[in-house]
Order: sequence, then structure tokens, then C-alpha cells
Amino acid sequence: MTRENNLFLGFVGLFALVNVFLFTTGKLPADWTGAGTMLAAGLTLALYSFLYRDNPLFKFAEHVFVGVSAAYIFGITWYQSLYGEIVVRLFGIGDDGNSGNHLLLVVPTILGLLMLTRFSQKIGWLSRIAFAFFVGVGAGFTIPRYISAFLIEQMEPTMRALEWSADGFNAILILIGVVAVLVYFLFSVEHTGAVGKISKVGIWFLMISFGASFGYTIMGRLSLLIGRIRFLLDDWLHLM
Amino acid sequence: MERLINIDRRIIFVFIFFGTLVPLLYPTPFPIEPSKEVRSTYEEFERVAKLNDPAVLLSYSYGASTEPEIQPMVVAILRHCFANDIKVVGICLWPEASGLAQPAMEAIAAEYGKTYGEDYAFMGYKPGLQAVIINMGQNFHDAFPKDTRGTPVGEIALTSNINSLTDFDFIFDFASGDSIEYWWIPYGKREVPFAGGCTAVMAPDLYPFLQSGQLKGLLGGLVGAAEYEALIDHPESATAGMSAQSITHLIIIAFILFGNLAYFATRRGA
Amino acid sequence: MFFVTRTLPTLLAFGFGSVAVAIYYIPHASAQTIESELSLWLRIVYAFAYVLGLYSLLNLHADRIKRRIPGWGYSLVAAISFGVMFLFVAYNDGNGPFAPQSETGGYQWIFTYVHVACSSTIFSVLAFFIASAAYRTFRARSVDAAILLLAAIILMIGRVPIGRAIAEFLPVLSSWLMDVPNLAAKRGILLGVSLGAIATSLRIIFGIERSYLGGGGDE
Repeated sequence: MTRENNLFLGFVGLFALVNVFLFTTGKLPADWTGAGTMLAAGLTLALYSFLYRDNPLFKFAEHVFVGVSAAYIFGITWYQSLYGEIVVRLFGIGDDGNSGNHLLLVVPTILGLLMLTRFSQKIGWLSRIAFAFFVGVGAGFTIPRYISAFLIEQMEPTMRALEWSADGFNAILILIGVVAVLVYFLFSVEHTGAVGKISKVGIWFLMISFGASFGYTIMGRLSLLIGRIRFLLDDWLHLM
Repeated sequence: MERLINIDRRIIFVFIFFGTLVPLLYPTPFPIEPSKEVRSTYEEFERVAKLNDPAVLLSYSYGASTEPEIQPMVVAILRHCFANDIKVVGICLWPEASGLAQPAMEAIAAEYGKTYGEDYAFMGYKPGLQAVIINMGQNFHDAFPKDTRGTPVGEIALTSNINSLTDFDFIFDFASGDSIEYWWIPYGKREVPFAGGCTAVMAPDLYPFLQSGQLKGLLGGLVGAAEYEALIDHPESATAGMSAQSITHLIIIAFILFGNLAYFATRRGA
Repeated sequence: MFFVTRTLPTLLAFGFGSVAVAIYYIPHASAQTIESELSLWLRIVYAFAYVLGLYSLLNLHADRIKRRIPGWGYSLVAAISFGVMFLFVAYNDGNGPFAPQSETGGYQWIFTYVHVACSSTIFSVLAFFIASAAYRTFRARSVDAAILLLAAIILMIGRVPIGRAIAEFLPVLSSWLMDVPNLAAKRGILLGVSLGAIATSLRIIFGIERSYLGGGGDE
């Protein structure tokens, strides 16, 4: 028997013993909530076993997750959209007379069904009609809204009137930063001379922003870890 | 020194693990001072509370992967709303949000003695991302014909008079993806005040919108949630995690500084 | 055939795209009705896209099982997990698939104790790896790298409660870094990204960008 197998058996045995203790002492209720907490703790530990190295326990938990997630998302899509909007509103099945007959829904339903032909060798080209609608409308919705929300609304506060105060100084810095970053991304001009110097300033601004993003990313990942360890200590082991 | 730089990464893992575990078991209470973007979110809800028959839209656009960061925000904001008699309509733009937000709404509403249909309502999830927002902006009843219980929105007291997004006094989005920046800001209604709570990873990208006023406030990650808990004077899970958050940050900074010292020492020696 | 497989979709994208742009600028009730209808259609087509994704995933695992590709046992685990959850989805706590979704039952139980547990754990594992990567690769090799490193460290201390306990100026400094240099850089990136997105959208509407049509099947 290899060292890996011993570790695996030891881990499973210890997990079983802890759960027996938790159930017998009443810390975990002998109901579906207790069973669920035990299962969630087991899956959490199995996934953390990847920190030691890739192993069958991790892969098992990972694939359970993949299967369950796929069915969950299908369930939500079915009840909230395919059933709720097509079956009920278009075909009137399961309707209580309050949904209204929305005959025009036949168009997106056909387009949706055309999308599903994507995997067919023979009629796969039909899906292009659905994608053309999807991409065309999406692009059309994007243009005016991006101009309004991202270009106009973002340019206005960048070019505020100057004033002798800390806010005024910050406003100048923001203006310098935005211009310098845009110059840095101007690849059609060679970055030499004045352009090179301005783009260098742009890099410094970008570095601070990347540093901020990195710091916040560490913060976010640690928060997730804290959440899971809290679950193990509090909900499962009742140590907190 | 070379060996120190190339230590087994599992040693670092052990430090991070205990750096999280020990402060959770034996927390050191550090005072929490809310940042101005969290405070402005709080003040926006306070402003709404003073209106006549206020109603807010809470948009849940998060998933299970970021539940430890976002769920404390959801709980804190629901508490703030219900404690101030603000009516809440919940919608989901992410499929997983439905299973996370609905139990939270039910539990906190019960705590404050709120009635479904009058004080709060839950519309569930609709696929379509920004298309749902455009749809709600034009016709709320068309976007969400029924709530998750199958009741037509026109028959629910709270939603019967809500025809579009402009009928809400305030909109707040809980985001673990692009929903604040790329869905709500460009596709929502500018005339309705809007704020958001997001994962820490996304927070730095949203600062341009705070200055432009497109975002009235922002809760960034677990720290943002803890600051909100401090403002409503109801410390819960986010506050409990702040000790561990602080210590693990110090551990990582120590590792970064040590790694740099070792790196420069090796370079000088070479 | 070329017309139906290539030209027609391009014309449709042009037609729908142009209408979607135009209605934004037309302050008339009928324009708003069209916008509402188009967004509703888009939402429904989007739901079918989920089904397409699901089919793709299941097909991948079925193929691995059929061809006994190494690791096929795990694909079997994924398929069984899908099947079990699917049964609970269809059962809908006794109401069946043609009724509003139940708020309780096995479906919600599996979601809470399997899906939520696994999803948040998988993402939290990154905390360990990001710490390890920071130690190994985060070096002040140049002035630019030193600026990045310093900003990250100030933010990491200044944004957590211990920062104020260490020094009063740390939260103030981290707040300024976020509000001024970070904001400026992010705004610069945002303006660039927006211009790119608008240009791409125009290329789609005018049929210059047609990669969404894919290749083959029409020639």
C-alpha cells in the first residue's frame, strides 16, 4: 500500500470519525440539514486536498460540481424562461389566464430553435440566422449606450473647471493620467520624444492601477477563503 | 537564499491556512471605519427611507463562487431596508443568485415581520443580461410577468404600480461579474439613482463611475460589507472575518517583502 | 445557397442592428415598444444559448465515456451528478416540470450543500495560489514594477481595519490612490475599451466583421 493510499484512507477515516462525534453529541442535527452540512464539509475538504496535490478525491468532487451545476442552471433556465415565457405565454400550457397571449414570441422561439442546429453538419448554417439576430441587436444596443455612458459621461468629469484646492489638484492629476494612459495606448504613433515621455507617465498611472487591482484581488480571494473556513469551523464543527 | 526563494509552496499554504484559522477562532476586534463610498451608499438608502412609500430594486447578479463576499452585503442591505420600511423588489440577473438571494430575503423579512407582496417581492431570474435591463426599463411587467411563486406581477400589491425602472426610487446591484459596469450603467435608467456592491476584484474598475456620479456608492468585497455592517450597527459575518482578513494581508505582505529581500540578496551575491 | 448562408445573415444583422441603434434616438412610444420587444426576444434567444452550452458540455463527457478516454470515470461521475440533479429539477418538489419552480425540496438542498459549497471552495483555493505566486514572482525589478508593488502593499494594508491601527495615514493614502491615479488609469482603459467596442459593433452592423457566422457548411 502506497503512502498516498494511506493518506487517503486516513483522511476519509478521520472525516467519518469527526462526523460520528458531531452527530452523536447533537452538534449536527440528525436531519437533512445535518446531512447537508456533512456533505458540504466533505466536498470542501476534498477540493482543498488539491493543495497537497492533484488527486482522485479532488477530481471526484470537481466532477460532481460540474454535473450538478449544469443541471441547476438548466433548471433555472427552464422554469424561469423556457417554461415561464414560451410554454406558458406562447402555448398557454399551465396558464391561469393571467399571462396574456404573446404570439410574437414565436419569432424568438424559432430563432432559439435555429440556434440549436449549430451542431448539425447538414443544417448547421441555419444557426447563423439566430446568431445574426443575436449579434446584430446586441451591437445595435451597444453603440448609443456606450457613447452616452462611457464616452460622454466619463469625459465630462475629466474636464472640470480648475480650482485652487486639493480637489482641484486631484482633478488636474486625473486629467494628466487619463491623457497619458490614452497616449500610451496610441500604438499608431512611435513612442519617442514628447510622446514617449507622456506615455511613460501613463505607464506609472497604469502601474498604480494594476497594483490596486492586484491588492484587491488578493483581498477578494482571501475573503472567499475566510468564508469557507468559517463554514468549516462554525456550521460544521461548531467551534466558533 | 536560493533555497528560500524556491521553498515548497505548501509551506506558504500552511501560513495562509493558519493565518485565517487562528484569527477566526481568536479574533482581535479592530475598529472599522467606513470608507466614503460605503457611507454614501448608506446615505442613499437613508434618503430613500424619508420618501413617501419608498421602493427599491435589488438586482442580484452574483453566484455561489463569490457567495462569501456578497452574501453579507445582501444581508446587511436587506436589514437596512426592512428596518426603515423600504419596500424591496428582488430580481436576479445571474441564475445562481436565485437560490442564494431568495432564502436571505425570506429569512430577513420574517425577522422584521414583513409581508410578502406588500413589503417585498421576489421576481427570480431571467436570462438575457443587459437585455433584461432594457426590457425592465421599457416594461417591467413584460420583463417579469410573474414572480417565482407564479403570481402575476399585476396582482402583487407592491409591483402592480411599477411599470418601468423609473418607478423605483433607487436601484442597487450585487455583482460578481460585469453587471454594474457593462449592464446597469450603460443599459439602466440614468434618472434613477444607482449604486452597487461587488467583489473586491472588480472594485478598482468602478471608481471612474463614482466620480462621474453614475454610481452613488460602492461596497467593495467583504471589507465593504463589514463597513456597512458597522454603519447599520449590526456586526455579523463580514465583521467577524475582518481580523482574519487583516492578518492574512500582513502575512502575504511579509512574504512579498521577504521574497524581494532574498531576491536582491541573491543578485548582489551573484 | 451562398445568399441564404452568408448574405442573408449579414443583411439580418444590418437590419436588426440599425433598428436597435435608431430606436434609441427616437422618442416615440412605438420606438419604445420595438425596443421592449427586441429585448424580450433577445432574452429568449439567450435562454436557448444556455441549452446549446449544456448540450456541448454533455456531449463532451458522453464522448469521453464512449471512447474510454483516460479519466472517463470522472466524466461518468459528472453525468450521474447531472442525472440526479436533473431528476430533482423535473420532480420540482412534487409539482412536476410544468408548474412554477418550487422554493424548497431536493433541488434547493443539492444547490445549497453541493453547488454553493463546491463553487465557493474552488474559488477560495486561489487564495493559496495567489499568495504563493506573490512570493515567487512579485519583484521590484524596475521602477515600474516597484510602483506596482508599493501600490499593492499600501492598498492591502490601508483597506483593512488593521491599517488604521498601524498608521492613521494608511487608509487616507490608499483612498487617494484609488480615487486619483487608479481612477485616471481605469478611465483611460475604459475610454479605449469603449471605442473598441463601438468600432466592433459598427463593423458587425456593416458586415465587415463576420466571424460570428463561423466557417464551412455553405460552400
